[in-house]
Amino acid sequence: MNKDLLNILSTSSKDIDNQQLMDYLAGKLPEDEQHQVEMQLADSDFMKDAVEGLENVHDKKDIHFYVEQINRDLHKKLQQKKQKRQRRKLVQQRWVYAAIILILALIIAAWLMIVKYQGLKHGRV
Amino acid sequence: MNPDRYQHLSDTTLLENFYADKDNHWLGLLLQRYTMLLFGVCMKYLKNEDDAKDSVQQVFLKAIAELHKYKVEYFKSWIYMVAKNHCLMRLRDRHGKTPAVLNEETMVFKEEGLSVQAHIDKDRVLDAVTLAIEELSTAQKQCVTLFYLEKKSYTQIADVTGFTMMQVKSYIQNGKRNLKIVVERIIKSHE
Repeated sequence: MNKDLLNILSTSSKDIDNQQLMDYLAGKLPEDEQHQVEMQLADSDFMKDAVEGLENVHDKKDIHFYVEQINRDLHKKLQQKKQKRQRRKLVQQRWVYAAIILILALIIAAWLMIVKYQGLKHGRV
Repeated sequence: MNPDRYQHLSDTTLLENFYADKDNHWLGLLLQRYTMLLFGVCMKYLKNEDDAKDSVQQVFLKAIAELHKYKVEYFKSWIYMVAKNHCLMRLRDRHGKTPAVLNEETMVFKEEGLSVQAHIDKDRVLDAVTLAIEELSTAQKQCVTLFYLEKKSYTQIADVTGFTMMQVKSYIQNGKRNLKIVVERIIKSHE
C-alpha cells in the first residue's frame, strides 16, 4: 500500500517565505520546490487566496515595493503610538512629582507653624 | 524593527511576548510576516493594487486594536479572517450588496487537519483512503493521484491531462476535501 496516500490527509506545517513565493510566481522554482509550494496551496485557503491575488498584480516586481511601503507605514504608526504612550506617561509622572512637592511643602509649612506656635507659647511663660 | 533577528521565534512566541509586556514592537514583527500574503488576499477580492495596499494597512490597525482587547490563539487563521472580512465589507460598500461575512464564533481557529487521523491507527486510515480515492470523479482522482502520489506540479499535471491550471487546482482542492469526507464516513461506519 502506498504510504504517500496519507499525505493527502495531512496538513503541511512548513511556511513559505516571501522570496520562495515570489520565485514561485515568477516560475523560477525547480519542480520539487514548486510541488512543495503547491502542497501548501492545496492545504491552506489563506495561501491559496494570497497566491491567486498576487497573480493578479500587473507587474510582479511591484509586489516587493508594495510590501516595503506597507511595512514602512506600519513601523511609522507603531512609532507614533509608542511616542504618544510615552508622552502620556510623562504627563502622568509630572502630576506625581507635583503632588510630592505639594505634600512636602505642606509638611514644611505645618512644621514651621508648630515651631512658631511653640516659640510664642514659651515667650508668654 | 529588524525581522531577521527574530526569525527563529514562532508566531505564538511573538504573541506571548506581546501579551506579557504589551509592547507593540512584537506585533509589528508578527504582522510583517504576513504583509505579502495579506496583500495577496486583498488583491484577490478587491482587484486593485491601491485598494489592496490601503486595506492591508487598515487590517493591521484593526489587528493591533483587537489584539490589545482579547487573546488570539491561532494568529495565522485569525488574521486571514480579519483580512477577508475587511475585503468583503469593502466590497459590500462598493456594490451595496451583503456578502456572507465570516463569523468569528463559527470560524475554527485551528490548523486544518483530519481529526480522526490522530486517534485511529495509520493502517486503518490508509485502507480508508485507498477505498475513498475510488469514489472520486475521474478528473479529481487523476489530479489527486498525480499531485500527491507522483508529486507532479500543477503545470506538469495540466500538460499531462490537458486540463487548464484553474481546473487542476480546483480538482486537487475539491478532491482532497471530498476524500476527507469519504474517509471519515468509512472510518465511522467501521466503528
